[in-house]
Amino acid sequence: MNDLYNNQVGHWVIVVIAITALLLVVLTATAYTVWLERVALGRIQRRPGPNRVGPFGLMQLAADGVKLAFKESFIPADADKLLYLLAPTIAVGSAFLAWAVIPIGLWYNVQYWIADINIGVLLIFAVSSLNVYAIVVGGYSSNNKYSMLGGIRSAAQLISYEMALGLSLVPTFMIVGSLRLRDIAEYTVHWGWYNGAIPLIILTPLGFVIYLIAAVAETNRAPFDLPEAEQELIGGFLTEYSGLKFVMYYLAEYINMITVSALAALLFFGGWNLWIIPPVFAFLIKVILLLFLYIWLRGTFPRLRYDMLMRLGWKVLLPLAIANVVVTGVILVATQG
Amino acid sequence: MAIAIFLIAAVMAVAGAIGVVAFQQPIRSVLSLVVVMLALSILFLLLSAQFVFVVQIIVYAGAVMVLFLFVIALFGPARELAKTQLRFQSWLAGVFVFVLLVLIWTMLQGIQYRQPERADLGVFGTVQSIAVGLFTTYLYPFELTSILLLVAAIGAIYLSRKKIDEPEGGPVDGLRSATGTGGEPPPSFKT
Repeated sequence: MNDLYNNQVGHWVIVVIAITALLLVVLTATAYTVWLERVALGRIQRRPGPNRVGPFGLMQLAADGVKLAFKESFIPADADKLLYLLAPTIAVGSAFLAWAVIPIGLWYNVQYWIADINIGVLLIFAVSSLNVYAIVVGGYSSNNKYSMLGGIRSAAQLISYEMALGLSLVPTFMIVGSLRLRDIAEYTVHWGWYNGAIPLIILTPLGFVIYLIAAVAETNRAPFDLPEAEQELIGGFLTEYSGLKFVMYYLAEYINMITVSALAALLFFGGWNLWIIPPVFAFLIKVILLLFLYIWLRGTFPRLRYDMLMRLGWKVLLPLAIANVVVTGVILVATQG
Repeated sequence: MAIAIFLIAAVMAVAGAIGVVAFQQPIRSVLSLVVVMLALSILFLLLSAQFVFVVQIIVYAGAVMVLFLFVIALFGPARELAKTQLRFQSWLAGVFVFVLLVLIWTMLQGIQYRQPERADLGVFGTVQSIAVGLFTTYLYPFELTSILLLVAAIGAIYLSRKKIDEPEGGPVDGLRSATGTGGEPPPSFKT
């Protein structure tokens, strides 16, 4: 195995196989996240949720996929055709690219990730910041007022919350001293008799809270789903999309949701380190729990009004995040000299 | 391998730059500029300036160009006027471009291309090395730039706030406060 990996051609073969495998894993995970969300939301609202197709409704997504694939591909009149078709592609592309640097686990000396680079977290931010183009371009090119309003709302929302999201992680980087996701996940402390890994949420609890709120807003999920608020904007930027293009937007949304959950697991909960549970499974458990938290939030909180959203982002989260950076810096200097 | 990536990125950058000026619709020009930014970031990565690569995407493609897009989306799908507006300017531009190309070509004669030194590639362009530079050698320019940006931000807030305070400004809907005026919403919107 090692010989093959160090071989020039063999290296590429392994990388391509790994990328394909990861693609399939993420796609499957996306499908079952949708299933989990529908079932969990159903239970929260005291109804059964999907339970007809397959055992426990597990094949529901396959049925929905077939239905959507056979829908008529519809392009609205006077739409900017090229941009209209390009927008969902940007969404899916930027969503998948983040998985190039997310480490899933280290198990028996096998690394379950594509690339381990020293600016991993920043690369994820860079790639996911391109997601806003998908929404704005999709809203603009649909030639529909509701789409346009959804797109513009989204642009303002994403820019506002990106600041808080980025700053909420700075204390983590300051404590660990690295932007490499592997270093952050494997962060260890030497406190008296205790030597070992600890989840970073103990050291930056405020950072986690800000990250969680900003990440929900960044992924356009309820209670921050103003860009596609169905009661006031029909479907926002999604209004004119149907069939497989609609599927692509939804796919991107759920991949982004899994990405931010995986990032939270890596940055605040020690990644794949969990007691005696095998590393990859430990990571999976953490991601599923965080995904459930997202669904739970959607099921229990009402949507924010637009001015409340902006005020929360700029006047609460951003100052808190900056204060968190300063306080963490002071404590670090005081304890480490 | 590196030369192939360089060629792809360079072609992307040039094609995007042509797209910026050639497209009739402003939104396509903006997206072409995004392509230029992404291609440039790949070129930075080839020079092993990893941090600049990421910042190029986050700041330019992720924030600055989104603001451009935002403004253009607000103005709606306007088309540029016909070419008849320009009479002699296009000829003048052609002459300038030609002169510039000749100048660059003469300047580039006798330049030796070389790889960056292998020795410091491990630290060059990393977050740490850039932070050390910013907070030691270039501390004063760095701090002065931040003050400049602060002044610009306060100025922008002041200018936009004045308009909102006027009575005929009307109710501030979500969009107007979203453009970052920083002003308090009018009393009717307070919770």
